[in-house]
Amino acid sequence: MCARNSIYTNPKPCKHLADYKLRHGFNTYDSIRNCLKTTPNGRTRVAKHTTKIPRCSFCDRYQGRLYFCLMCSSLWCPSHILLHAQSEKGHEVAIDMDRSELYCCLCCDQVYDPDFDKVVVCNQVKDLPGGSKSKTNSFEASGERSSKRKRLDSGIGLDLKKSELLVSMRDRRAKSCYPLGLRGLNNLGSTCFMNSVLQALLHAPPLRNYFLNDRHNSVQCRKRSGEKLCLLCDIDAISSAMFCGDRTPYTPAHFLYSWWQHSSNLASYEEQDAHEFFISVLDGIHEKESKIRNSGKDDGDCQCIAHRAFSGLLRSDVTCISCGFSSTTYDPCVDISLNMDTSNLSSSNANKPIKPDEKTSVSTLSGCLNLFTRAERLGSDQKLHCQNCQELRDSSKQLSIRRLPLVLCLHIKRVEHSLVRKISRKINQYMQFPFSLDMTPYLSSSIVRSKFGNRIFTFEYDNSNSSAAYEIFAVIAHSGMLESGHYVTYLRLKNQWYKCDDAWISEVDEGIVRASQCYMLFYVQKLLYNKANEDSSFVRISPRRDPFESTAGCS
Amino acid sequence: MKHSVNRPPTPDAAEDQGKEPTLQEIINIKLIESGEKERLMELLRERLIDCGWKDEMKALCRAHVKKKGRTNVTVDDLVHLITPKGRASVPDSVKAELLQRIRTFLMSAAL
Repeated sequence: MCARNSIYTNPKPCKHLADYKLRHGFNTYDSIRNCLKTTPNGRTRVAKHTTKIPRCSFCDRYQGRLYFCLMCSSLWCPSHILLHAQSEKGHEVAIDMDRSELYCCLCCDQVYDPDFDKVVVCNQVKDLPGGSKSKTNSFEASGERSSKRKRLDSGIGLDLKKSELLVSMRDRRAKSCYPLGLRGLNNLGSTCFMNSVLQALLHAPPLRNYFLNDRHNSVQCRKRSGEKLCLLCDIDAISSAMFCGDRTPYTPAHFLYSWWQHSSNLASYEEQDAHEFFISVLDGIHEKESKIRNSGKDDGDCQCIAHRAFSGLLRSDVTCISCGFSSTTYDPCVDISLNMDTSNLSSSNANKPIKPDEKTSVSTLSGCLNLFTRAERLGSDQKLHCQNCQELRDSSKQLSIRRLPLVLCLHIKRVEHSLVRKISRKINQYMQFPFSLDMTPYLSSSIVRSKFGNRIFTFEYDNSNSSAAYEIFAVIAHSGMLESGHYVTYLRLKNQWYKCDDAWISEVDEGIVRASQCYMLFYVQKLLYNKANEDSSFVRISPRRDPFESTAGCS
Repeated sequence: MKHSVNRPPTPDAAEDQGKEPTLQEIINIKLIESGEKERLMELLRERLIDCGWKDEMKALCRAHVKKKGRTNVTVDDLVHLITPKGRASVPDSVKAELLQRIRTFLMSAAL
């Protein structure tokens, strides 16, 4: 465990704390080591007086905050602790008893010290069941591979500029036309769900690069697998068509046929769910790849383009309410489905005289993500077996993200099932979402760290790189009702938004995008986004078309 | 800050000397001894998060820090700022639930 703090800036200790530490050297916090007690919910408090009720030495108060003087172990309430520090020299540092946080009596403010936090955290880890028994606790991931592949920069090994097949040239039509790769898709009969997802996939930087670099060569593919059906080949064909420079709407009929073969249960002319389609396409890509490579690798290590782009790792912590023992599991995922944060928006709180300037009545993406990572108390009908207590106990479960993918797909669950009336209803509520997203608060390192209270201690696997910063590049919006709605995709290319409504592509203002009813949001790691938007206009040399041939306009 | 507080006769709070514990204190002691207080606190924390009270308080604090400047605010300032507002904005449903729990507890503790 290192004391160096990477993401969070360490507040500097005040003069009094610094002096205190100098005076007491290594034994600074020894007096409290044996007084710390951790409760099952993870709070550590100072519990020296096991028989008596803690009271302020001056006014006998036992309610509210109480501070424990590190020097003489006396207790004080906030009103009187200053008197104590002023009258006794050297007694400037105290601990908030309920929270185990440092307080400087002369500055009248909370102070922070990584060494102190280390003592508290070590104690807490030791105290909680399973902490001292094995090394695998909240710090280390049990059963996790130690090789951390940094998939930031050129992790996939794809660099647009290095490819031999691409010729960098100025697009003569750049001024008056849309960026390359923008092309409408014809609706083949309620296939807007497919068109919208395809637009998002084809412009996801890792996939875009993959196909433009000819990483999936159809000729070789047919030779290798001998099968005629390959979703990747079909997507490759669409990608070529999108980037060839022709602006007339393209008809992805062959892809639709292939996909119907793959997901025959969804093959119909009915409107399908875009998210379901998205999952089935990724599945189809993965299946084919794993057949070729003949490997049964689990999703975490899979090298197929679908997983390399979208695969992340979720962490689930289930904690026993009675004893605090928690067990951790990891599950790979290709997207995150979020419930909407509508529950605490209704003004059922009658007596709230003051509202802060914030909009408490709008659903936001951060609200949904907070809901996703919130500790949820499982109902009494869902008791789980606690290894420590050796019986069924009430538990709480908390999700967090252990490893973020290159492309983050967030699915907003807008369907509400009413068990009573046995119908499904669409939630049309507007949800606000940002264009730049910082996923740090939802990472396992942040969530797990918050279990220890307000600490500035660095945990072992804090990611110090900036791979939690994301930029949005596609939004799939839905309008209308559950059975008969319409999907459109908004794409962000070189900081300009475009609306892709089946065959019709148009430039739109970002306000339109912000106001849309988002259903799926696609974010990509900031570094990849910046790279993709560099001014490198290029054309893929396609044997089928002469890129210099003038086309019939761009709208 | 000077307080004119009437000092109790035995400031060291030695056991039961010269002062009968009030009913409130007795209840508090019972709650702590049985561990019920810890459970109630945990329940209260959960409820206040659920109804958005915690987020509101956080927002109030943030706004204050933004106004005053990060280095000019102490924990004590924030506590004094949000305590009255916080107490006033606890939803009735939360209060009712906790009161009910305490009542149930007292009945079972046969006070």
